Amino acid sequence: MKRALLLIATALVAVSVLSAQNAATSTKDLSALIAAAKKEGQLTVIALPHDWVNYGEMIQKFSDKYGIKVNELNPDGSSGEEIEAIKANKDNKGPQAPDVIDVGLSFGPSAQAEGLLAPYKVQTWSTIPADIKDKDGYWYGDYYGALAFEVNADLVKNPPKDWADLLKPEYKGKVALAGDPRTANQAIMTIVSASLANGGSLKDMEAGLKFFDKLNKAGNFVPLIAVPGTVASGETPVTVRWDYNALSNRDKSAGNPNISVIIPASGVVAGVYVQAISAYAPNPNAARLWMEFLYSDEGQIIWLKGYGHPARFNDLAKRKVIPADVEAKLPPASSYAKAVFPSLSDQDSEKAAIADGWDKVVGIEIQKK
Amino acid sequence: MRRADKIRESFSWLWFGLGMIYFFLPLLATFLFSLKGRKGILSFAAYGNVLADPQFLKTFLFSLEMAAFTIIVGLVLIVPTAIWIHLKLPKAKGLMEALSLMPFVIPPIVLAFGLIKTYSKPPFVLVSSPALLVAGYVVISFPFMYRTVDAGLRAIDLPLLTEAAQSLGARWTTVLFRVALPGLRPSILSAVFLCFATVIGELTLAVILAWPAFGPYMALVGRDLAYEPAALSIMSFALTWGSIGLMQFISSRGPARRLRRPKT
Amino acid sequence: MPRSQALRKASSWLGLAPFLCFAIAFMILPAFSILAGSFMDGSGVFTLANFAHLAKPTILSSYRVTIELSAVTAAIGTVLGALVSYAVVAGGLPKALRSFTVTFAGVASNFAGVPLAFAFIATLGRMGLVTALAKTILEVDLYGSGFNLYSFWGLSLTYVYFQMPLMILTIEPAIVGLRREWREASESLGASSGTFWLRVGLPILMPSLLAAFILLFGNAFGAYATAYALTGGMLNIVPILIGAQIRGDVLHDPNLGYALALGMVVVMLVAIFLYLRLQKLASRWQK
Repeated sequence: MKRALLLIATALVAVSVLSAQNAATSTKDLSALIAAAKKEGQLTVIALPHDWVNYGEMIQKFSDKYGIKVNELNPDGSSGEEIEAIKANKDNKGPQAPDVIDVGLSFGPSAQAEGLLAPYKVQTWSTIPADIKDKDGYWYGDYYGALAFEVNADLVKNPPKDWADLLKPEYKGKVALAGDPRTANQAIMTIVSASLANGGSLKDMEAGLKFFDKLNKAGNFVPLIAVPGTVASGETPVTVRWDYNALSNRDKSAGNPNISVIIPASGVVAGVYVQAISAYAPNPNAARLWMEFLYSDEGQIIWLKGYGHPARFNDLAKRKVIPADVEAKLPPASSYAKAVFPSLSDQDSEKAAIADGWDKVVGIEIQKK
Repeated sequence: MRRADKIRESFSWLWFGLGMIYFFLPLLATFLFSLKGRKGILSFAAYGNVLADPQFLKTFLFSLEMAAFTIIVGLVLIVPTAIWIHLKLPKAKGLMEALSLMPFVIPPIVLAFGLIKTYSKPPFVLVSSPALLVAGYVVISFPFMYRTVDAGLRAIDLPLLTEAAQSLGARWTTVLFRVALPGLRPSILSAVFLCFATVIGELTLAVILAWPAFGPYMALVGRDLAYEPAALSIMSFALTWGSIGLMQFISSRGPARRLRRPKT
Repeated sequence: MPRSQALRKASSWLGLAPFLCFAIAFMILPAFSILAGSFMDGSGVFTLANFAHLAKPTILSSYRVTIELSAVTAAIGTVLGALVSYAVVAGGLPKALRSFTVTFAGVASNFAGVPLAFAFIATLGRMGLVTALAKTILEVDLYGSGFNLYSFWGLSLTYVYFQMPLMILTIEPAIVGLRREWREASESLGASSGTFWLRVGLPILMPSLLAAFILLFGNAFGAYATAYALTGGMLNIVPILIGAQIRGDVLHDPNLGYALALGMVVVMLVAIFLYLRLQKLASRWQK
């Protein structure tokens, strides 16, 4: 009896000492990290437009808080370009080489496989959902959003509420994609959404392609890539984008024109983006500090202000640390209730099917003229 | 003869007029759209927003600087080479044609990544120097510069003039500066204009090599805003045209040309 | 003596050295260091599979469409540009118009990409200025009668915006060189305008016209941004395919992209070869 109690006591002491040490090492690491990062003095990020989930504020706050200069490369860049930038700059320690990347979910594992990433687990690692992170810390989900209809409310008096609405004759010559399905993730996900809303599944894109074929034949589809300018001019008054982009565009337009953002009633697809550190980063400590900042409560709420749901959303909500005014501006949680997250393997088969099928279904029709 | 001239003149006005309609309608449409910066009324609000952005002037001046360097390097490289080929090495014309058209088929992103990859290792670490950007710009201006200078050389029959000048006792420098270059003035000017416009609007090289140029600035504005890009389009068109007009004006006021071309 | 002749030959090639060194250092070497990737797969292993992919029907068709687009816009640009250039240089118009046109052409030749696409959308799009005017003033429904800016011909129309000015600038010296005296001489000999052009004017201008044509062809061949902005990738042309592979988020097979680019280099070299042959024929016509 006595020995058992002694064992338990020792165990308890050992555990508390160890965890105290762990806690001590974590905070000690962070100040050591901050010092090392400050010594490096700069951080190079890539493909982070200022109005994409409020990265503008994120970069500014990070730079002000730690006094580290942030070089912003290629704000217009795609995930593919970020990867190519790492590869091309392997020997380059100058400001053209990205330290951290923010890419679509499927690029995480492929970049990892090509040896382009360096692992790092942030302090708040355990509160990041397991299905959106790599177990060794090579990449982890940062934020997600759902695809929504972005409508120029001044020109389209009766905005569509669901995918089936888009086929109505009142939308003739008004519906466009916000990207090229052979190039842009947003466009692919749009077709996936259409597929889900029309009887397809995450692995079967036929329904989605058929939907766009119908849309095209009805004359509702405009083969132009929708940008804020074309939405405002009325050339593409109805388009489909990530809700955070649509909402931020709505805010920026400030009524000129009035923009409505509607999450479709069916076929709601959510997409995750992932953060990672480049294996060839010229400023690895600054990169790690950036990650720590992004995944701190402060960073996650900055993303939330940009209408993106951060990875640790559930944890933040549980601990009730989301400011009330930020929460009020988000679309109602019920819209996301039916959101579907395509997995990695889903995305691979989706991409292949759409890339192959798009030309046959829509491309040739346009070309005939 | 008078009648033939009159017919020719009316046709000229016709083609010129049609051309101007074709060119100005899109500009007019862009301009009208850019005036919608404020809801319901026509205003220059979009222009105000662009001008208020310090990045507008900063990036334009940077590109202006880069354009100047590119023009100088390009002219120094191409004009003597083109003259040399016409005079001494006509066999190399085919090679020059091929080389000068290559930049069209090399995707700018390939060139940009290639420049980084090649010049980020010792002994030639040029990656952090704007010289690499200028080199890239010179490469993409090759086709335009070579073609205009070549067209000018074809038109002035340089071998004949050189022979004539040399038989009168002129040295090589005289031939170059007093015979060839003056005769090539319109072509060189065209080459300068084309090079200038190319550099001001260039996007990919500047983005990948991470320089604060005007092209990337325009692209950035275009992705987020609705009316400002149209305003920016018009302003950049006007600024570029103004700069080119200025160059044209200065060059026509320069030292009198030694070689008088017969009036056409 | 053969030795001094050989030396002279070698020294004349030396004059080409500065340009060649520059071209190799800053164009050929960097470009091919990346395009070498066309011979590799994703993990760096040598393979010819990328080139095998080029034989796919969609890819072959994209090469065909690209060549068609480039040839058509080069041809239209050559003809219209020559006409406008002639009009302002030798057509009896006021001198100021020439300078105006030349400087404008300088700017317009590079007005390409997104701004140009948007300008044409604002003009001839469904909500465009001309479309609206046609409806209200002429009561013509452009889109109802089958016109569509977002098509091969719409894109060609847009391409001409930068092709024509390029032609105007390039052909200017040749037209300047077409001396007035020759025209007057031919007229005094009783030749009509048509005969003049057929026997004197065109043969003299032909080499320059051909040279300008190949320049315009190359210009359109590699053009990417305008096509992407206007047709959103609906039109299957090679530069957009390359973009989709290298910078795209979906397919992302850069090695295939490099193979496509190498394919473009080959097509261009073939075009240049044909052009040089045509130049030889043209110089014979001149005689």
